[in-house]
Amino acid sequence: MSGIEDTLTNFLKLTFLSMVPFVLAGQGTMLGGRTGVYNVAQEGMMLVGASVGFLASYLTENLFLGMLIAMVTGALFGLLLAYFTTTLKLDQFVVGLALFFAGLGISTLLPKKVIGITLSPPLIPTLQDIPIPLLSKIPVIGEIFFNQNILVYVSVLLSIALWYFLFKTNIGLQLRSVGENPKAADSLGVNVVRMRYITTILGGVFIGLAGAYLPMVYTGTFTDGMVKGRGWLAIAITFFGSFSPIPILFGSIFFAGIEVTAYKVQIGGTGIPYQFLLMLPYVMTIIIMIFTYGKARVPAFLGQNYDREKRTL
Amino acid sequence: MRFIKSILPYLGAVVIAFVVAGIFIALMGYDPLEAYATIFGTSFKTPYAFVQTILKWIPLTLLALAFTIPYATGKFNIGGEGQMIAGAIGAAAVGILLSDMPIYILLPLEIVAGILAGALWGLVPAYLLYQFRINEILTTVLFNFIAFNLIDYVATGPWRDPTAGHPTTVAVGEGGFLPNLLSTQPINAGFLITIAVAIGIYIYTNRTVGGFELIATGANPKASHVHGINTRFLSVFSLVLGAALAGLAGAIEVAGTHHRLIEGLQSNFMQLGLIIGLIAGGNSLAVPFIAFFIAVLEVGARAMQRTMQIPVEMVFIVEALLLIFILLSNVVRRRK
Repeated sequence: MSGIEDTLTNFLKLTFLSMVPFVLAGQGTMLGGRTGVYNVAQEGMMLVGASVGFLASYLTENLFLGMLIAMVTGALFGLLLAYFTTTLKLDQFVVGLALFFAGLGISTLLPKKVIGITLSPPLIPTLQDIPIPLLSKIPVIGEIFFNQNILVYVSVLLSIALWYFLFKTNIGLQLRSVGENPKAADSLGVNVVRMRYITTILGGVFIGLAGAYLPMVYTGTFTDGMVKGRGWLAIAITFFGSFSPIPILFGSIFFAGIEVTAYKVQIGGTGIPYQFLLMLPYVMTIIIMIFTYGKARVPAFLGQNYDREKRTL
Repeated sequence: MRFIKSILPYLGAVVIAFVVAGIFIALMGYDPLEAYATIFGTSFKTPYAFVQTILKWIPLTLLALAFTIPYATGKFNIGGEGQMIAGAIGAAAVGILLSDMPIYILLPLEIVAGILAGALWGLVPAYLLYQFRINEILTTVLFNFIAFNLIDYVATGPWRDPTAGHPTTVAVGEGGFLPNLLSTQPINAGFLITIAVAIGIYIYTNRTVGGFELIATGANPKASHVHGINTRFLSVFSLVLGAALAGLAGAIEVAGTHHRLIEGLQSNFMQLGLIIGLIAGGNSLAVPFIAFFIAVLEVGARAMQRTMQIPVEMVFIVEALLLIFILLSNVVRRRK
């Protein structure tokens, strides 16, 4: 293989590896949004997911247990969000920000309490690549698509499954109707409150897992603030993707590509101060927002709380 | 009597929040009573600790106002941190480039540069909101992350102080130092500026036509629009005004507290500013008082870490709980 081909293969492989947190957090955001719950706590929830996922893996020496705990914690945050917004009808942004702060605090507090301050960072083994038999032997493509860690496969399959569920099943249609017109959905016998709880909690599960991915694949340890805005970017991706699973998947691949580009250029050493390269994902997000403005489709009832006793929506 | 009645659910929420946090502290194996004694007592034990509390109060108040002013029109400014950094960079740039200037030129220039840089940092998201109706929550947050990289560049770039271990610029000219108010304690004139700003904002929002229009926009945008208020402009204006105050906070940190640009000088001021603003329910008059309370907690929490080895992040949980229970108290009041 030539050098350029090697570089390109490596770039694409890294891109698919880096899309996972965006895909999982994006689909989690999408699910809640499809029933009208606009979650803005992703950054905090991912931090908690990263923190507890790392700690549980470190203590039990089992990465899958770590993932499970991160998902359960994410579900708890989702439950709180659902309770405060859907049952108590508090402002979704305000509740989301409160949960974001709580997540921020808990994520830094727990490792300090459980492990304490150590000279060298405590490490967990990172997730191994699982080559898919036969497929991984295909030149180039095999290495890029079929020799990845398990969560890369999971995030692709999850996106396809969510698409099928939302757009090809009856219950998916009911779910979407809650986010478009809850009053109409309610009158047709859809349990609006239950739908909103289920999607918000399930969304929390994905977001928690998205956080746990970072220590398990990138660093092997937890560092304060390691989510670095990926939670916020996931919200942006969900918006560009019009709250649809497949566009969210492609949006995540695109953002992962920018992230990897910034990283590669930084290592390559071009004389551009690395800080400006690190700004790239955020700047790109804003530019894309300008270009997709008016084109992205958002659930009509997004961000609002449903009160069946109210006459008007 | 009515005031007491209206404040009662809040007090109840505060008490419950501290009880729940106390249980949490006890579960972690510490003595909650001793922890609270340290948290509440430290600020009032020594003049030095009290001055530290005031120095925290300055940026907290300004960043909380940076949130509550746009919040009054129904907009969320989550970019206070970035705007504060922009203000600090603006002030430091002027202070370093014009370091030979006398104080009556350099100091005002520095402060104005900070305010303008902060406002500019808020203007871009505000313009995107005005022109393209792009959600301001996302854009203001994204500008924070751009600012984190920018301050890292400036603090490690050509102005870097090579003798400092942490990324820091060289000092601004002596003409750019905010004067001290006391000879014995490091309390600077930023304190007076902040008091003046807080009073000014209160008068603006509660006693002027412009301020009334601002609040009307948030309370009922449709009705305000029908009555000829330019609601779209006001939401943009409120975001920029808020950002200018965050920029001022950055300038005061540079000119008053550090005399140079230090990476990380924004620390958690934005999150705390938001918590203060949300606890205040957007009421600008309540902000300085709640900010003082939070400043006491913050200074106390640092002492608690030193004397009891309880991680300082504990106070973050306390603050988040405070916010959550105060939100719940609003539900209780609504039901009555």
